[in-house]
Amino acid sequence: MKKRLFFVMGFVLVCVVVFSRTEITFWYAWGGDEGRALVDLVDEFNRGQNQILVRPVFVPIGQGEKINATLVGSSTPDVVTIWDWMVVPLGESGALRELNHFLDLAGITESDYLDGVWDYGSYRGKKFALPTTLNTYAFMWNKELFREFGLDPDHPPANTEELDRYAQLLFREDTRGNIRRLGFLPNISHIYFYVFGGQLWDSQTEEVTANHPNNIAAMDWIASYYQKFNLQKIRVFQATWGEMASSYNPFYRGQLAIQEAGQWELLFIQEFARPDFEYGVAPFPAPEGGREKVAYLNGSFWAIPTGSTAPDEAFAFLEWLTAPSQSARFAAALSNIPPRIEAINDPAFQNAILPNMEVYLDMLMDGYVYFFPTLPVGLFYMEELNQALQYVQSGAKTSEEALDDVQQAIQRELRKYQ
Amino acid sequence: MPVSKARRREIKIGVLFLSPWLIGLGVFTAYPIIASFYFSFTHYSGLSAPRWIGMDNYVQLFSDPLFGKAIYNTIYLAIIGIPLAQVLSLMTALLLNSKVRFLSIFRTLYFLPSIVPAVAAALLWRWFLNPQFGPVNLFLETIGLPTPGWLTDPAWSKPGLILTSIWGIGGSMVIYLAGLHNIPTELYEAADLDGAGKIAKIFSITLPMLSPVILFNVVMGIINSFQSFTSVFIMTGGGPENSTLVYALSIYRNAFQFYRMGYASAMAWILLVITSVAVFIVFRFFGRYGYFGGTEQ
Repeated sequence: MKKRLFFVMGFVLVCVVVFSRTEITFWYAWGGDEGRALVDLVDEFNRGQNQILVRPVFVPIGQGEKINATLVGSSTPDVVTIWDWMVVPLGESGALRELNHFLDLAGITESDYLDGVWDYGSYRGKKFALPTTLNTYAFMWNKELFREFGLDPDHPPANTEELDRYAQLLFREDTRGNIRRLGFLPNISHIYFYVFGGQLWDSQTEEVTANHPNNIAAMDWIASYYQKFNLQKIRVFQATWGEMASSYNPFYRGQLAIQEAGQWELLFIQEFARPDFEYGVAPFPAPEGGREKVAYLNGSFWAIPTGSTAPDEAFAFLEWLTAPSQSARFAAALSNIPPRIEAINDPAFQNAILPNMEVYLDMLMDGYVYFFPTLPVGLFYMEELNQALQYVQSGAKTSEEALDDVQQAIQRELRKYQ
Repeated sequence: MPVSKARRREIKIGVLFLSPWLIGLGVFTAYPIIASFYFSFTHYSGLSAPRWIGMDNYVQLFSDPLFGKAIYNTIYLAIIGIPLAQVLSLMTALLLNSKVRFLSIFRTLYFLPSIVPAVAAALLWRWFLNPQFGPVNLFLETIGLPTPGWLTDPAWSKPGLILTSIWGIGGSMVIYLAGLHNIPTELYEAADLDGAGKIAKIFSITLPMLSPVILFNVVMGIINSFQSFTSVFIMTGGGPENSTLVYALSIYRNAFQFYRMGYASAMAWILLVITSVAVFIVFRFFGRYGYFGGTEQ
């Protein structure tokens, strides 16, 4: 009797050891259909093998406070979703595991990714996270308004001079001086820094280049819009704009004739605009001597916190999740762009491509790809640029003064990390 | 003095019952306060170990234009917002203390806005103050007054925020009402016999008798005003042109978005000094002009 009991207990123990799965926690940040698409992928991973069980938990990133606090604590998830600007501060502080070793073992290299993407979220060669999907921006115009004002709806402005002329032509005020339509308004300033041939960071010399002469020229050009169309009136007009993800989006309501638009707008237009709404997408027009096809990357990342007790399993899951087939399906669900070349060519992504997405893809594959420098100072650099733009808009500083100040502030801040 | 066994036991039990609160105070309030004082002398991202840099954060603060701007904005909102809110809530309390019909309905209506969640109220006011289709400007237009840009115009954004804060005077109004109930009616009867008018009674009886309550409300107003965050964060995000960048928002950004926890800690300690000075001035003022029923202030 005793012998039999011993045997049964032994058998149970062997079963537990052999068949038990390592459970890992995965914090994902998408709600709605996008979240469901990701959870479906997690389920597929869980069904497809019996060593790892991934438990997905919905944790929106927000401003990152909760995630930062969790990651510096001792009880962390095994895989976490964070914004691009959080990667290096968290990684350099030791809160994230370096992935270089894992990537080497898995044979994942720079050439698997789109040009310029490998360095995105890296610092001094250290990779702390993998991009989830990519977002990028292009130049989008309302063809109906172009036609109405005698412009060729199939030809966007060829350069910034022509853009200035179009913006003036499409601009409308009512009899009381309130703006009724803006032709165009440069919004994300650093896109034009690059379009004008400037840059934010020199990765060779590891120096901030906020006051690059071409950045200053771009800033002057941006400020000219706020001077021409009156900063205060623009603000009042913008306060009347509806939500972007709604039928009140100023672009398809005709309040803004030309806009900077992320590729997710393609999905918004399909969902919220009139079915016969006509629009075009092209790379940003550049001034003479500027850069053509500038593509600004941004997005979120997946990382393995140092506190993870199962980093190998966490990476095995990440490797599967970011593999071309899964990446293609997830990007298709979000109307985002998968970061790996093979994923872009995957039928799951290609078959789901929305009209005009090819322009964004062409910019990423054939254009000048850049991302906001991922530095230990987080959002500080971006905020300083916003401040600079405000000073220039209101005339408190010249572009050169404002960008010189940014240069000094960021250099001083970065020195603290050396 | 020898302490008896029973007394010692009593103290032990007392401390034991107090301990959840004491531990909470120590862990969640006292420790962070002391730690932030240390962090204010360090380069600390909030993620990795702090590094001692002496007075650098404090020195840098005084050359940071946004620091000065944040102090200016916060003091502006306090100096104009607090007296305005106190006068209005006191006036409302006086009205609601009179004998009119449907008094309880009026009291409820005036108190109601102060229990609306701060985020919901901020979103509502963002719409109210919309320069083109907000009800406030539509009303001003109807009666022929100019329509300011409110939250879009740097010159009007702070008045816009003050308007929003006045909406929530219900809390202090209720405290004033309670204070008014505590004033002995004999004083008013005596004043009537002396032939005092309504205004004279307010200034000679009501206000002096209410002065401890006013002091309480003003001090709370100062503390809340210096810490105001939610409405600004939601309504303007500090803009336009940093005209509504208040101190707490600036601390939050530095600490959690820019990974400058050491710098933000230094800011927080300066806020403590400013608040203490403001409260000290208020105490001195009330000590001189207030009436505290013969107790020393």
